[in-house]
Amino acid sequence: MRSSKATAFVLALPWIVTFGIFWLFPLLYSFAIGFTDYQLLARDYHWVGLANYVNLFSDPAFLAAIKNTFIFVGGTIPFTTVIALAMALLLNRSFKGRGLFRATYFLPSITSMVVIALIFTNLYSRGGYVACLAQLIGFTPPEYGFLYDRGTALYSIMAMDVWMSVGYYMLIFLAGLKAIPDELYEAAEISGAGRFRQFFSITLPLLRPVMLFILVINSIKSFQVFVEIFVMTKGKFDTATMVYFIYDSGLTTHFSFGYASAAAYVLFVIIGLFSILQFFLLRRRQPLW
Amino acid sequence: MRRILQISLAVLFLTQASFAATTITWWQFWTDPGIKPVIKAMVDEFEKANPDIKVELTDLTWSNGHEKIVIAYSSGTAPDVIELGSDWIAQFAANGHLADLSESVATDSGEYHGWSLATYKDRLYARPWFLGTRVLFANRDLLKRAGYENDFMPYKLSDLKVAARKVHLLGKDIYGWGSNAPEKHRLYKKFLPFMWSEGGQIFSDDGRMCVLPSVHTVSALTIYKELHDSSGYVANQRGIEDAFLDGKVGFIISGDWLLKRIELEKRKINLATALIPGPKFPGKSFLGGEFLAVSESCEHKDEAMRFVAFITSPENQVRFCQANRSATPSSKTAQQDPYFSSTEPLKIFNKQILSVKHPPVDPDWVVIEDIIEKAVEDALFGSGLIAEPLRQAQMKIEHLKNK
Repeated sequence: MRSSKATAFVLALPWIVTFGIFWLFPLLYSFAIGFTDYQLLARDYHWVGLANYVNLFSDPAFLAAIKNTFIFVGGTIPFTTVIALAMALLLNRSFKGRGLFRATYFLPSITSMVVIALIFTNLYSRGGYVACLAQLIGFTPPEYGFLYDRGTALYSIMAMDVWMSVGYYMLIFLAGLKAIPDELYEAAEISGAGRFRQFFSITLPLLRPVMLFILVINSIKSFQVFVEIFVMTKGKFDTATMVYFIYDSGLTTHFSFGYASAAAYVLFVIIGLFSILQFFLLRRRQPLW
Repeated sequence: MRRILQISLAVLFLTQASFAATTITWWQFWTDPGIKPVIKAMVDEFEKANPDIKVELTDLTWSNGHEKIVIAYSSGTAPDVIELGSDWIAQFAANGHLADLSESVATDSGEYHGWSLATYKDRLYARPWFLGTRVLFANRDLLKRAGYENDFMPYKLSDLKVAARKVHLLGKDIYGWGSNAPEKHRLYKKFLPFMWSEGGQIFSDDGRMCVLPSVHTVSALTIYKELHDSSGYVANQRGIEDAFLDGKVGFIISGDWLLKRIELEKRKINLATALIPGPKFPGKSFLGGEFLAVSESCEHKDEAMRFVAFITSPENQVRFCQANRSATPSSKTAQQDPYFSSTEPLKIFNKQILSVKHPPVDPDWVVIEDIIEKAVEDALFGSGLIAEPLRQAQMKIEHLKNK
């Protein structure tokens, strides 16, 4: 018994060492320097207590980043989830060419985000396809393009994010749908339940674990949105999110690692609380619907 | 026998040691195929002339070079010699990362322009390599179509505004003015010439107070916004240059790299260049440049300084500038080379360099420029009063300086 434990420990050792060096140590170290005025170029640093946290909550740029992040999360997750579920329901039926549709919808998920962001930067530009489309349906597009307008820049990136993400979550929903036994639907049909009733009484409740998984990982991903912002707007036009703020504070303009670490821990707490809330809401025994 | 062996080994070791070359490391930004061979050739020539010194060359990129340099200094892995943009020198000097070169450059300081960009607290921290400024580029064909004579160029900012508008009204997909979208390290370089030409300043003369929201700066930003609103083609620097070279834009402000693009890409454009307009013609343009500095941690400072002096020598500046199509060497002797007056645009650049200003040499400049860019962004793309973003920028800068 002892020997098998020792073997397990030895086998897990490479992972433990890697985790300790590349994850745990940076995590604890960044927590510690969040209480200092550590700047990359300075030769020494000092303990500043909670000053970084206090300053963060009076920094308009950080408050704007929190606001933008919440807009991003709140504006993408419901759309991504609902569209992915709808697509999964459609593709769960059997029809000719179903495989092709599945592959096509999943394609954006395996494409580089930088490539997608560059393509959409073009689509959103002045005189681009999206502007032409908007004109066709009677909307006046922003004068300098969708990404050069404070009213549309963030929402345009959000729309791209939804388009990019739905295929991946659709696949997870599909796996969840496949796991629901057909007998349940047959029994419901015999009992006279219509498709609407079947969806709300069988499909949705049984998809709850999948839904929880999707909501949690999508929330974490959305709270950490960075690449799209970096490639498309560099945080301009009111699009700077929390991770962009951390990058800007720590690694570009200011090189203030202490301040950036404190901001990273605020984000960590927000994501943690949000995930706990989702677990709490979706793990309840009584049906939500 | 053992003794003979010991003596032989000692002699061998001493001989090796005396012939071992000192290695100095150099980080630089010039990687494109047209210029890298010149850099390499200069290094080879230096090594040939100085057999006791070997130079290890490392390339940086403009996209993340600054971050790499910061991380290198922070982690104690900085090179001996480093190319720095003028805006960064104070940041590294203030934190003690650059060697004080004040004594070693005193003998030839009269030979070079641009020392003030590398002077922090009365000490010199880098040697000017080549300088950079911006001039006004115009599409002569569009100006003709707008009804202007062949030799017209605007002398005042108001003339520029009117001419840009006339070009803008020529038709669909034609724009009067290439207006920079918010873009790090770019937008402020376009606005500051307007501000300086109108008499505005960032700090008071004694450097103690931020005086950004002055009447002069408000006036400059008003003109800049009017140009942007009435005739602007808004894109990043690359985007507006593309549109200009495609014949869609009447006027843009740009640097000598655009001349290089026109030549290398064989662009057919009826180009005109002019000095920056302003109430007192010529207006003040932006002055920056590339400098060579020696790290404080360098163990072979004399050798490093010899190398820096070699690379920045007048002859090598001419070679570099010709290969890179740079218009403005820092060496006064190099500037006399016929190459720099061989074309009208090069002449314009060398006239404009006599009417320039540079941002304050301040360790916080990278943060200050970010604040100014945000103010210009707010003024151009927001809807409030022009003075308000400037006032907010003033508050942020003063907060930063009072920390």
